[in-house]
Amino acid sequence: MRRLIPQIGPVLMLAAGLFFVLGALTALDLGSFRRMGPGAFPLLVGGLLCLLALIGLVQNLRQPLAPGRPDPMAVLGVVGGVAAFAFFTPLAGVLPATAMAVLATGAVIPGFRWRYRILLALGVALAVWLIFVLGLGIPFIAIRGL
Amino acid sequence: MDLLANLSLGLATAATAQNLMYCFVGVFLGTFIGVLPGVGPLAAVAMLLPVSFYLPPETALVMLAGVYYGAEYGGSIASILLNIPGTPSASVTCLDGYPMAQQGRAGVALFATAMASMFGALFGVVVMVLLSPKLAEFALLFQPAEYFSVMVLGLVAASIVNSTGAVRGLMMVCLGILLGTVGVDVNSGETRFTGGFQELRDGVSLVVVAMGLFGISEVMVSLRGATKSYAGAGLTGSMLPTAREWLRSLMPALRGSAVGSFFGTLPGTGQTVASFVGYALEKRVNKRGASFGTGAIEGVVVPESANNAAAQTAFIPTLTLGIPGSTTMALMLGALMIHGITPGPRLISEHPELFWGLVVSFVFGNIFLLILNIPLIGLWVRILRVPHHYLYPTVIVLICVGVFSISNSLTDVWMTLLFGLIGYVLRLFRFEPAPMLIGFVLGPMMEEFFRRAMLLSRGDPSVFLTRPGSALLLGVAVLLLAATVLPWRSWLASGRLAVRRRA
Repeated sequence: MRRLIPQIGPVLMLAAGLFFVLGALTALDLGSFRRMGPGAFPLLVGGLLCLLALIGLVQNLRQPLAPGRPDPMAVLGVVGGVAAFAFFTPLAGVLPATAMAVLATGAVIPGFRWRYRILLALGVALAVWLIFVLGLGIPFIAIRGL
Repeated sequence: MDLLANLSLGLATAATAQNLMYCFVGVFLGTFIGVLPGVGPLAAVAMLLPVSFYLPPETALVMLAGVYYGAEYGGSIASILLNIPGTPSASVTCLDGYPMAQQGRAGVALFATAMASMFGALFGVVVMVLLSPKLAEFALLFQPAEYFSVMVLGLVAASIVNSTGAVRGLMMVCLGILLGTVGVDVNSGETRFTGGFQELRDGVSLVVVAMGLFGISEVMVSLRGATKSYAGAGLTGSMLPTAREWLRSLMPALRGSAVGSFFGTLPGTGQTVASFVGYALEKRVNKRGASFGTGAIEGVVVPESANNAAAQTAFIPTLTLGIPGSTTMALMLGALMIHGITPGPRLISEHPELFWGLVVSFVFGNIFLLILNIPLIGLWVRILRVPHHYLYPTVIVLICVGVFSISNSLTDVWMTLLFGLIGYVLRLFRFEPAPMLIGFVLGPMMEEFFRRAMLLSRGDPSVFLTRPGSALLLGVAVLLLAATVLPWRSWLASGRLAVRRRA
């Protein structure tokens, strides 16, 4: 199983190449050499990607390139931050969403105290208001209901 | 005479209050980003792309360019004081800069760095002024086949300068090109690979891809180590080098600038290769070469003049041919295209105020940088000591707000997160996302020129080999690929390894 994990990368590339090749062959007009249709170029490049992925797979079998160690907490922190922004923006406006995103991302950083997280959240929300709303005049709903 | 008229047009553009202000903002942010190890100039330019939509094109480019070359100045500060390069190209500066700091000569090293950076940058600007119009004139002879081939060359060059090998780099380029085909085909009006999502009809946004691949995934990689606070050498002693050191630095600065200017113009090489080659070359030709690595001032001057000269001349292929030499340059091209400006040989004649305004802004920007890096050096030293956990949540928010500000669309925010996750997975499996972005930017143009060349040749694919210019460019691309197996790469890699070991 351990030997198979490094092969996931080239296999993913092969899958991506096949997606475009099959998409071009089945759903798009390829045209002629003279007047190429919308499917011709993706077919060529997708085919090249498949070929390269196969070469990569062979290379990897000979000399496996060990993958990096994933950090699920870091991913969770970033996903949580972006999700908090996307969730709270329509509900409460951009500034509260900003503060929530800072709190969510900051929550996974070890040793980052709550007091400082809250101060950072307020500071960043203020900076966003100053730069984007006041400075650039972007028509955001800064705080819903205000 | 023409040159003087062009430069005065550039001066009139660059010297407006708005352009000066955004030039300062750009170089300030660039230095800030360069000082902090972790967030590179690429992520910073990506984050500023949405802001640039609200500015005139020349102002936007002046600011984004300022971030790019400002980061080269800032990158050396962390190299000298902490032995941690702020930017990849500043890693060579660690070799002599950090030993100088340990000897209590950090001030002299920083002063020499700032002066060498300014010298290199101005050298690069002169090369750019002299070379760009000639190259653009020559490129007007290009037909679609040559354009296609020059793009192939650019993409091959971008994919081979990749620590995980050319095959992986080429895979990423192909993936980027394919991603660029998503949306409506401009020739037939047919939608491609949208999966029925109306949001994808106009294609995937460059901002979304860039911010996801380089902003979000970068934070995912660095977030949990963010509590590190750095305690390196302090800023002690006088900042002024001795008269002998001034004299000893002159020729190395000149040689470094020349090497940097050359490598900056080559697609795919950029500042890192320029500073490595400049240092290696100087070590051989300099009488004091044996003292390199122990705190020789020349060892700081050469890489800094080389990487700053390269940062300026990298704009030559980008603006005159429309071929970005690096990922950051690809973003600059994207910014121009967003403003409806097609980069290429006609840019200088059709938008002289933009080209010459940018050139003159480089001079202003470098003067600002000198002020920021000599009298205000204490500010950056203090910033270095601020714990980084304040930085990453802020970056996430700036990405979200920046993407959301473009069209008030939360779908774009989710898409950015998706690309961030894709970038993170790719990094885990040792695929560097940089070539993908270059492929994404160049892909649509490449397809257009490919189809046009085939139409003009009445369907004969040999046109790419029978036209001498196109054949030459493709030949160089093949040679470049072949060169990846030649010894110079292992020599360069061993140099990098040595730097990493020291760092």
